[in-house]
Amino acid sequence: MSEADERAIVRSEIRWAVVAIAAVSVIMLAVIFAAIAMHINPPSNVERINPQDLHLSAEFTEANLGTKVEANGQITARIVATQFAFVPRCVVLPADRPVTLRFSSPDVIHGLLVSGTNVNTMVVPGYVSQVHTVLRKTGDLLMPCHEYCGLGHSEMSGTIRVVPSAQFRPGPDGRVACAAK
Amino acid sequence: MPQNRRLILAHLWVAFSVFVLAAALGVWQMWVRSPLAAPQDTPARYYQSVTGHGVSMAYVLTTFFIMGFGYFTAETALKTPLPSARWAWAGFWTALAGVAMTVAAILSGQASVLYTFYPPMTATPWFYVGLVLVVVGSWIWVAVMLVAMARFKRANPGAPVPLAMYATVANAIMWLWTTAGVSAEILFQILPAVFGWTQTIDVGLSRTLFSWTLHAIVYFWLFPAYIAFYTMAPRAAGGRLYSDTMGRLSFVLFLLYSLPVGMHHLFMDPEHSTGFKFIQMSLTALVSIPTLLTVFTISASMELAGRLRGGKGLFGWIKALPWERPMVLATGLAFFMLWFGGGGGLINMSYGMNAMVHNTAWVTAHFHLIFGGTVVIMYFAIAYEIWPSLTGRAPLSVATQRLQLWLWAIGMMVMTLPWHYLGLQGQWRRVASFNYADPRIGPWGPLVIVSLAGGVLLLVSAVMFVMNLLPRRAQVRLPEQGYSFALAVHPPQRVPAALNGFTVWNVLVAILMLVAYGFPILQFFIGNSPQAVIHPLTGG
Amino acid sequence: MHEDDHDGLTPAQIAEAMKATPRGALALAGITTGLLMAAWLAMYFLVFLPRGSVG
Repeated sequence: MSEADERAIVRSEIRWAVVAIAAVSVIMLAVIFAAIAMHINPPSNVERINPQDLHLSAEFTEANLGTKVEANGQITARIVATQFAFVPRCVVLPADRPVTLRFSSPDVIHGLLVSGTNVNTMVVPGYVSQVHTVLRKTGDLLMPCHEYCGLGHSEMSGTIRVVPSAQFRPGPDGRVACAAK
Repeated sequence: MPQNRRLILAHLWVAFSVFVLAAALGVWQMWVRSPLAAPQDTPARYYQSVTGHGVSMAYVLTTFFIMGFGYFTAETALKTPLPSARWAWAGFWTALAGVAMTVAAILSGQASVLYTFYPPMTATPWFYVGLVLVVVGSWIWVAVMLVAMARFKRANPGAPVPLAMYATVANAIMWLWTTAGVSAEILFQILPAVFGWTQTIDVGLSRTLFSWTLHAIVYFWLFPAYIAFYTMAPRAAGGRLYSDTMGRLSFVLFLLYSLPVGMHHLFMDPEHSTGFKFIQMSLTALVSIPTLLTVFTISASMELAGRLRGGKGLFGWIKALPWERPMVLATGLAFFMLWFGGGGGLINMSYGMNAMVHNTAWVTAHFHLIFGGTVVIMYFAIAYEIWPSLTGRAPLSVATQRLQLWLWAIGMMVMTLPWHYLGLQGQWRRVASFNYADPRIGPWGPLVIVSLAGGVLLLVSAVMFVMNLLPRRAQVRLPEQGYSFALAVHPPQRVPAALNGFTVWNVLVAILMLVAYGFPILQFFIGNSPQAVIHPLTGG
Repeated sequence: MHEDDHDGLTPAQIAEAMKATPRGALALAGITTGLLMAAWLAMYFLVFLPRGSVG
């Protein structure tokens, strides 16, 4: 076996490495495209909040939870994730309009996804998790807690009720709640 | 033949006995989650079982197997006894005491925090102390491996460290780096809380420290599989390793890029900014390079073997390979499952795309394919391969070994393909029961039952594996035999110092870790980082 | 190399088998990696992007 053979082996490995790097680059470019052009980024607002008196904070007091249309027209749903329920359990949001979901936890780690969408975030005590999205499908979407939060974890599930934009009618205070079904 | 056979066998038997019990727990868990009625179906039992399954598979099977296999490799590749069998035994007993403590804690029902802990939830202190002892035992193994390699280099100046040993030491060094994260989390955050010295935990920090460990630990488990691909499979197939240099380079790349990437587990977390998530995503993309290089190098080694056996044409060599040999069959099945597991991993690591699958059954499918599919099937093959030189007895017939390996691969695919699909439908993780009466969830039922059937196949295979290894009466004793690793096409006479040691690479790891984790950890020490009150887990 | 470790293959045998190697490996690794890329792109375009923007 000669030096030349050894060089041929190294050459073939380098040739393959180029193919491998090209393949990975395609993925990287697609991901960057989604981030910049489609605005699909991981929820990463790094917003601190004291979990020990969350219920006393201006934003996550019980009276301020649920969906609210702000004075500037922005639609925000505020939800507390706590052992073992989302408060409120059901949230109404309009389809085809930009909405913001804001979550926080007063106790342990929770997490959630909204089925059939890219809405997915961890809820870590000490932080506000924020997701901007536009919901396209109407109906009751599942919003389960997807992170182990104690023995009652399996019971912890909420609903995102997406209604056609025309049926989304906030009250005089800008609030909308799920009607009992 | 290895000197310290009892030491090696003791490690492997701890690993394999715990493995079979954990496989049984896994099947029961799937039964509970399915629409079928299962015994003992309570959330408390379920999470106790998930904790037991995760701890056994992720910490006990792996750590004990890797230690035992490391001792085997050191003695057979370097052809000298271990530098200190006494220290090795001390490591074994320390780790075993830790296992006993952890198992007792889990059995008490006061430790159902799963193997990933989730502070500010806390378990009984003995759970964590036991795990610390397992890690301390493994650190002794690291020291023995480092000394063994150093002595070899001193006794054979300029000679290349055999690839199997070089890779083992790469893994040992990586493990030392890897355990730093979780050790800091347990020693500085969790233990002070569970012993009552502090009442709060910085959860952002604890998640970040755990992420430090969480990806590299998977490569710790994976290393033996890759060592088998590079240094065992080519010989078992009747050929040679295509390139020794590429083997060294791949192992070094694993050491480098397994570590600064753990934050891809935190893509959906609110305590880190997009910038650092993006940096670690890019580094994660780089870790796919050594895997793709391995795919090529091992394919080329197998091609060489197939051609030596008369295989012709572009693909004729594949048919010519000796698939009847367990090591060759396992390698093929492992790569097949790696295609699915690795492909799922590529999607998980893709930054924003992680939102599509995070904490769904898709991820469970991904890591069962990587761990069960690629890692554990190679643990089986390694055990079959080295058993004669360890025990002087062959495992039960080659046909039962093949059947066992096939059952494992088929079971793994039947279990995980439905999980992938259900994950995309939104089936979420870590639940003891689903409300199948809900029309949005009901349609999942049949697929959950299919995956349970896959789990049953896996359990049958796990039991067969141990039966194949058990000593039997009237068994033929083989003549004493050593173990020979595969030769390379060009057995190296000299290798560059960088590929015969780790100094340069350690410096690079330190730099990469500083870039990837420096500020993400530092941020918790700036300003008032929020503290969460601890929540001791109470019995259901 | 330790003499116990010799695998009995002669340089001539290896040289002969190496003539066509690694064309097959390149084809196999190329096809499997290509399929992997195709699967990734299918997930990206058919599942991920239709699920809408988040951030």
